[in-house]
Amino acid sequence: MTSQVDVMSKFQAEQDTRKARRIDRHTVSAIAVFVLCIVLILASRLVSPSLGSWQQVLTVLTLASFLVVLSFGQGLVILTGGLDLSLPAVITLGGVLTTTWIGNGPGAWYMLPFVLAICGGVGLASAIGIVWLKVPPFIMTMATSIIVSSAALGLTNGTPRGASPDVLLLLMKGSWLGIPAPVYFLVIFAVVGWIVQSRTVFGRYLYALGTNRDAARIAGVPITLVSVLPYVISAVCAGFVGMMLVGYANGATLRMGDNYMLPSIAAVVIGGSSILGGNGNFAGTVGGAILLTTVGTVIAAIGLEQGLRTIIEGGIILVALLLLREELFERLRGLSGKPRSGG
Amino acid sequence: MASLTHSTPHRMRRAQPMKLLTSGAGIVFVLYVLLYAIYAFLQPSALSSSTFTNLVNNSVPLAIAAAGETLVVLSRGFDLSVAGVISLTNVLMAVYPQEGPFGALVSLTICLAVGGIVGAVNGWLVAILRLQAIAATLATMIVCQGLALVILDAPGGMVADWVSYELTDRLFGVLPISGLFVLAVVLAWLVFKRTNLGLGLYAVGADEQAASLSGISVIKVRFAAFVGAGMIYGLAGFMLSAQTATGNPNSGTPFLMLAFAAVALGGTSLSGGRGGLIGSILGAATLMLLQKVLFSGGVSSFYTGIFQGVVLVLAIVFGSAFARLTGRRTAA
Repeated sequence: MTSQVDVMSKFQAEQDTRKARRIDRHTVSAIAVFVLCIVLILASRLVSPSLGSWQQVLTVLTLASFLVVLSFGQGLVILTGGLDLSLPAVITLGGVLTTTWIGNGPGAWYMLPFVLAICGGVGLASAIGIVWLKVPPFIMTMATSIIVSSAALGLTNGTPRGASPDVLLLLMKGSWLGIPAPVYFLVIFAVVGWIVQSRTVFGRYLYALGTNRDAARIAGVPITLVSVLPYVISAVCAGFVGMMLVGYANGATLRMGDNYMLPSIAAVVIGGSSILGGNGNFAGTVGGAILLTTVGTVIAAIGLEQGLRTIIEGGIILVALLLLREELFERLRGLSGKPRSGG
Repeated sequence: MASLTHSTPHRMRRAQPMKLLTSGAGIVFVLYVLLYAIYAFLQPSALSSSTFTNLVNNSVPLAIAAAGETLVVLSRGFDLSVAGVISLTNVLMAVYPQEGPFGALVSLTICLAVGGIVGAVNGWLVAILRLQAIAATLATMIVCQGLALVILDAPGGMVADWVSYELTDRLFGVLPISGLFVLAVVLAWLVFKRTNLGLGLYAVGADEQAASLSGISVIKVRFAAFVGAGMIYGLAGFMLSAQTATGNPNSGTPFLMLAFAAVALGGTSLSGGRGGLIGSILGAATLMLLQKVLFSGGVSSFYTGIFQGVVLVLAIVFGSAFARLTGRRTAA
């Protein structure tokens, strides 16, 4: 229709504005989410004086550490335009294997990585289905989820036994200079995660893949490897969250992962990432995870019943989505002409 | 999901008997018959009308839920609120039972209305405000789950006797009454498919821009898909309540994954525009039959999930291989 030159210049112009908007938007939404956290913690003081204390901040951060690790993997998958629904099942698998195979006996040093490798294998299986067999991510990870939770159920005969290895107790229950160990872990993980996603070649490949698959292939991105790795990383993260939960509760249950499926997606979306891929920032996701945990803790402390808490949780996701809507409009306008799926 | 976006323009074709066999619905039907043969081999009573009624009763809630989900998936969307609507309507049925046939009608109306309202909210968020469907329906699902918990905070309550007895019974001692509800949904679909809105559903799912350029109101079609789906979920919740005779605020949760599994198994493309409601119903029936077969085959119920997952993946892989071999798209 138009000459080639026109198309080229138009494409470049669009890309330029998009990049500028991306930096701006992500800094803004990450800051907004963190500010919202602080306001919420301070405001909770009005409800009850025991809230909003330093102790409570530490509790929130400890609880948020699970979600931060989980949503890192989920975020990478979402960045490439996929979705990982197998996380709760893999959390349970990681937790159950840790208590039944390792327990508080010896051998944790080589067995913990082995369990993580099994979880990574689950992610690899999902990735094989998605990348080579061309099964949609949504369905493939759902299938692995059904398979893995069924295997975990069979493995434990319905009742998981065993306790937590000492290493995990130390990681989750220990403290240094009056600050719980998981808080240090959270900070280190957040920094490393941010560097991986935003400052490495691998991270940039992920953005390229999520934005435009064909363009990424032409630009020389190793498509297969970059498509497979996020699922493996995501599953390893989920397995590790299972271990963290084992250390925190000193035991495993078959439903330990159930409550993390929706928050893992919500944290990424609230943090300003697009669920369509190619867009997002781990700093925002960390903020989203902390915000969700803060809301959960504050609402729990106020003493609302479970139902109302759930309604508020859904309402917050909705409000966050509505606030991000303007950007989405522009994004969709920028993408018009490119077929869109999953949205 | 991005990997499946490059679809060629969709061509509508009238389903022909020969081609029907290689369509998604055809494959899953053959699968169902094969499974039923195995079931009959393992369990001779499988051919009796009471076993069949039981099987139908068990499959109906999932079949109807999957049918509703299909509407949204065809328009290239996702609807997670299915779990929320089923929980909410189930809890309403158990906490406010309405006795007698007239009461059942009132309950049914309430269920359809609740589903329709949730669907309208989804439609407003996704079609008009253009929010991401997964995220928006995730939020409505959570809100519905919360409402269900507020109404009934733990499993309990009693569904009206008339509903739980009559709707799980057999007509003339042979026909499962619950199956008639599925039949009603199928008939409604066959009519709807031929309306402008029904054609628009496929067109929007296949290529939104082309549909919009040829004068179809994309917003209207999307909105209608969500409202219709919501009402059908309401019906699924109604049938589930008849089946379990009690209320559970989490009763809808298992339906989330299984409904999508049934849709995919039934040959509906998750990237929209291709497939149909009948395939999804057969897909749901197959998933439930698989459980029975495994159980009668002596497989521990712990491991049914492994088989369900494998069947799901295989069905999709073979389904798309078939579609590629025959080189065409179906609208069965």
